[in-house]
Amino acid sequence: MDVSQYLDIFIDETSEHIQALSDNIMVLENEPENKDTINEIFRAAHSLKGMAGTMGFKRMQHLTHDMENVFSEVRNDNIKVNSEMIDLLFNCLDAIEAYLETVKSTSDEGTEDNEVLIKKLNAYLDGGNDEAPAQAEEAKEEAPKEEAPAEASSGSEDPNGKDHFKVLKIDENDISKIREAQESGLIIYGMTVHIQKECLLKAARAFLVFKALEDFGEILHYDPASQDIEDEKFDLAFSCIMSSNSSDVEAIKAAVSAVSEVEAVDLDKVTAEMYEKPVEEAPKEEPKVEEKAPAVASAKPTAKADAKATTPAAKKAANKPVTARTVRVDIEKLDALMNQVSELIIAKNSIVSISASEASGADYDSQSLQEQIEYLERITTNLHESVMKVRMVPIESTVNKFPRMIRDLSRKLNKPMELVMTGEETELDRTVVDQIGDPLQHLLRNSADHGIESPEVRKAAGKPEEGSIFLNAFQEGNNVIIQVGDDGGGIDTERVLQKAIERGIVSEEEAETLSQKEIIDFLFMPSFSMAKQITDISGRGVGLDVVKSNIEALGGDVEVKSTLGQGSTFTVRLPLTLAIIQALMVEIRDEKYAIALGSIMNIEDISINDIKYVEAKEVIHLRGLVIPIIRLDQLLDCEPREEEPENLTVVVVKKGDSYAGLVVDNLMGQQEIVIKSLGKVIENNKLISGATILGDGEVALIIDVNTLI
Amino acid sequence: MANELDMTEEEKIQYIVVKIGSEQYGINISLVDNIVRMQKITRVPKAPSYYPGIINLRGEIVPVMSARNKMGLGEDVITNQSRIIILKLELQGLVGILVDEVKEVISLGESEIDRSAQNSKKQGNTYINGIGKSGDELISIFEINSIVDEVAVS
Repeated sequence: MDVSQYLDIFIDETSEHIQALSDNIMVLENEPENKDTINEIFRAAHSLKGMAGTMGFKRMQHLTHDMENVFSEVRNDNIKVNSEMIDLLFNCLDAIEAYLETVKSTSDEGTEDNEVLIKKLNAYLDGGNDEAPAQAEEAKEEAPKEEAPAEASSGSEDPNGKDHFKVLKIDENDISKIREAQESGLIIYGMTVHIQKECLLKAARAFLVFKALEDFGEILHYDPASQDIEDEKFDLAFSCIMSSNSSDVEAIKAAVSAVSEVEAVDLDKVTAEMYEKPVEEAPKEEPKVEEKAPAVASAKPTAKADAKATTPAAKKAANKPVTARTVRVDIEKLDALMNQVSELIIAKNSIVSISASEASGADYDSQSLQEQIEYLERITTNLHESVMKVRMVPIESTVNKFPRMIRDLSRKLNKPMELVMTGEETELDRTVVDQIGDPLQHLLRNSADHGIESPEVRKAAGKPEEGSIFLNAFQEGNNVIIQVGDDGGGIDTERVLQKAIERGIVSEEEAETLSQKEIIDFLFMPSFSMAKQITDISGRGVGLDVVKSNIEALGGDVEVKSTLGQGSTFTVRLPLTLAIIQALMVEIRDEKYAIALGSIMNIEDISINDIKYVEAKEVIHLRGLVIPIIRLDQLLDCEPREEEPENLTVVVVKKGDSYAGLVVDNLMGQQEIVIKSLGKVIENNKLISGATILGDGEVALIIDVNTLI
Repeated sequence: MANELDMTEEEKIQYIVVKIGSEQYGINISLVDNIVRMQKITRVPKAPSYYPGIINLRGEIVPVMSARNKMGLGEDVITNQSRIIILKLELQGLVGILVDEVKEVISLGESEIDRSAQNSKKQGNTYINGIGKSGDELISIFEINSIVDEVAVS
C-alpha cells in the first residue's frame, strides 16, 4: 500500500498522541493510581503503535509496542508507577519524537533502534528477575547496532528506489541457484519493475510480467517473495532475478514494458557475487528483521550504481523535508470563507451588470451602484475577519510542552516546583505562535533556575517548599498578554546595580538616580548575566536580550515586575495579528502617519500653556497622570513650523503602565490598514514599524509606539 | 551561416544606459525589473540621506535610493525626464534607483569594456566596475552591489 499520502496526517496525529501521552504521564506521576489516566495513556500508546505499523515504521512500532506493554502491565496492577519509570517513559517519548522529526524531514523513520530504551522497558516488564532477559536482549540487539552506520549511508533501502534489484537480499538457496545458472552459461538479469501509481490490480500486473519473463528464461528469485507478490504485499515496485540464454536485454525490457500499467523497468546483468558477500556478513541477523540486511548489502552496490551515474531517485528525494507547514482549520471556518467568497462573486456580478447597463445607455443608477459598493465593503471586511480566524491558532500547541520541561528542570535542579498554566486556549496568529515558544521557554527556565530558591531557603522564608511558576495568557484589546512568573526570590536590584557598575555600564553617581525599572532593564542588555555560575540551563548571558529582541521582532514587547523576596513577573505583550490592524491616521505637516489604535488611550486638545516642565522635559498633567510629551515633528525631522499654534492635538498612547503624549498636527480618522515591510534595505528603522498603502495609492508610515515610550 | 556568425561573436551583455548628472551609467539589464516614472516618494525619517524614501509600486512598498547622493554627487534634481529604475536583487529584494534620464539599451561585449580603470581603486569606494565604450560615448558600468550594499541602520 502506498502510504505517502497519509504522511501529513500521520505526522499531525502522532504529535497529538505524543502530547497526550506526555500530559497524561505528568498526571500519572502525581496520581499513580488514576485508572482513567492509565487507560488514556494506554489508548494513546496503542494508537501510536498502530499508526507507526500502518506506515511501515518498524522501529517506531517496536518501541511503542514495548511502551504499550508496560502500560498494559500498569493497568493490570502488575507494576507500580515510580519516578524512574516516569523518567524512562519520557525518554521513550523523546525517542518517538526523534523518529517523528526524522520522518518529517526524510519521510523515513531513520535507523536509530533505541535498544537501550527497549531493554529498559522490558526490564520493567520482567519485574524482579530482569537480569537474564536483559542480557539476552543485549545479545540480540548487538548486531543491528554495528550495522547502523552502514545503514545510515544508504539511501536506497526503499524498495521503490531505482535499481533496487542490485541491493536485494537473497538467501543462500537462491544464490546457489543463481550461481548454478551462471556456471551453466546462462546470463543472469536483475530487474526492478515499477508499476504505475494508479494501478489497481498490482498482483495481476506482476503475474503478467512474470509470464512475459518466462518466455525468456527462468526466474530464480523474487523480491518480495512470490507469495507476497501474489497477495499484493508490495508497494509500487518489485524485483526479481532471472536466468536466460538470450543476450537481448532490450527484448526482455520491451516484453516487460509491454505489460500495461508498468511504468518503468530497471534491467541489468548481475552476478551471484553481487549478492553473496553481504549476505555472509549478516547471517547472525534474524531473518524477521527484514529491512536491515538489504541496507547492509546496499553499501557497496549503491556506490557502484552511483558511479554509473544512475542516482537513485529515492536518495535524492530523501534530503528535502517532505511536509509543509500547515494549519488545521475547523471546517466551519472554511465554510464561512466559502460563503463569503460566493457573496463576493455575486457582488462582483452585480457591479458588472450595472456597468454593462451603463454602457448600453440605460439609465445610470448611481444609488444601486452605491449599494453594491457598500455590500462589497461588508463582504471584504467579513472575508478579512474569516481569513484572520483561519490563521489564528490556540497557543496551546506551543505551551503544552512546558509542564514537562519544568518537571525535568525540577528534577535536575533538585528544586520542587510546579507550573500552573491558564489561558492555553487564547488564540494568536500562527506565525506568532510558532515563534513565541523560544522566548517563553527562556523565561520559564529563568524562573526555574534563578527565580525559585532552594527548598531550604524557601522554608526559611516561610514559603511552601514547592516553588510555583505560572504562565497566564489572555487577550486584552488588540493584544494578547502572556505573563510568566514565579513566587521565588525576585530580582535583587542591588546586585544588578552592583554588576552594572562593575561592568562600567553606569557610574556610581548615575546609579543613585536610577529607578527600579531602569535597573531591571539592565537585565535586557546583551551579555548581561546575573548567574553566579554558568549552568547548562541558563547564565551564559545570551538570554533576556534575545528574548526581548525576538518578541520585538513579532511586534510585541516585554516588561518585568519584581518584588524582592516575592518573585517576579515577565509580561509579554503580543499583537493579535501581524498583517492588518486598525489605526488612527494622523498628519504631521504634509506627511501622513498611522498609529495603531490598540495602543491609543485617548486624544486630547491641549493649550500650550498647560505644558509643564519636569527635568527640562515637556509633560502634561492629565487627570492625575503626568504624561511626557513627544513632539513627533521634531522626532521625525519634519520641517519646523513657522509659528507655534495655540493648541496642540495630543494622542495619548500607552504601553503597559507608561504613557506618552504624541503631538500631531491633524487627525484624519480611523482606518483599517495592511502592514507592509519597508523593504530590506531600510527595515531596521526603529521609529517606523512598517508602511501601508492608503486608498489613493499614497504611502503612509506606521509609527512604532513601543519604541517611543 | 547565421549560426556560425553568432558562435564566433563574443557573448554580449545588455545594459540600460541612464544619465545621472552629466555622466552616463550602464545597469545590467538582467537586474532590472521595471522602469517607472517619477512618483511621490514618501520620506522615511532617520533613513540615510541616500534613501529619500519609499514608493508604492502596484501595492508593494519599494525603497528608493539616490545613486547620485550615494556617490557624493549632490542632491537629485527631479525633472520630467526623471525615472526610477526598479532593480530586483537577490539579497535586498526590490530596490528603486533614481536617475535623471533613461537613454537607451546597448549591448556590450567584454572587449568593449575597459576594466583597467578600476583596478587602481585609489580613492576609497568605487561604484563602477568598468567603462564601456559605445561609439564615442563612455558608459560607466555600475557595480550594483556596492551601490546597494549595506543594510542601512538609523
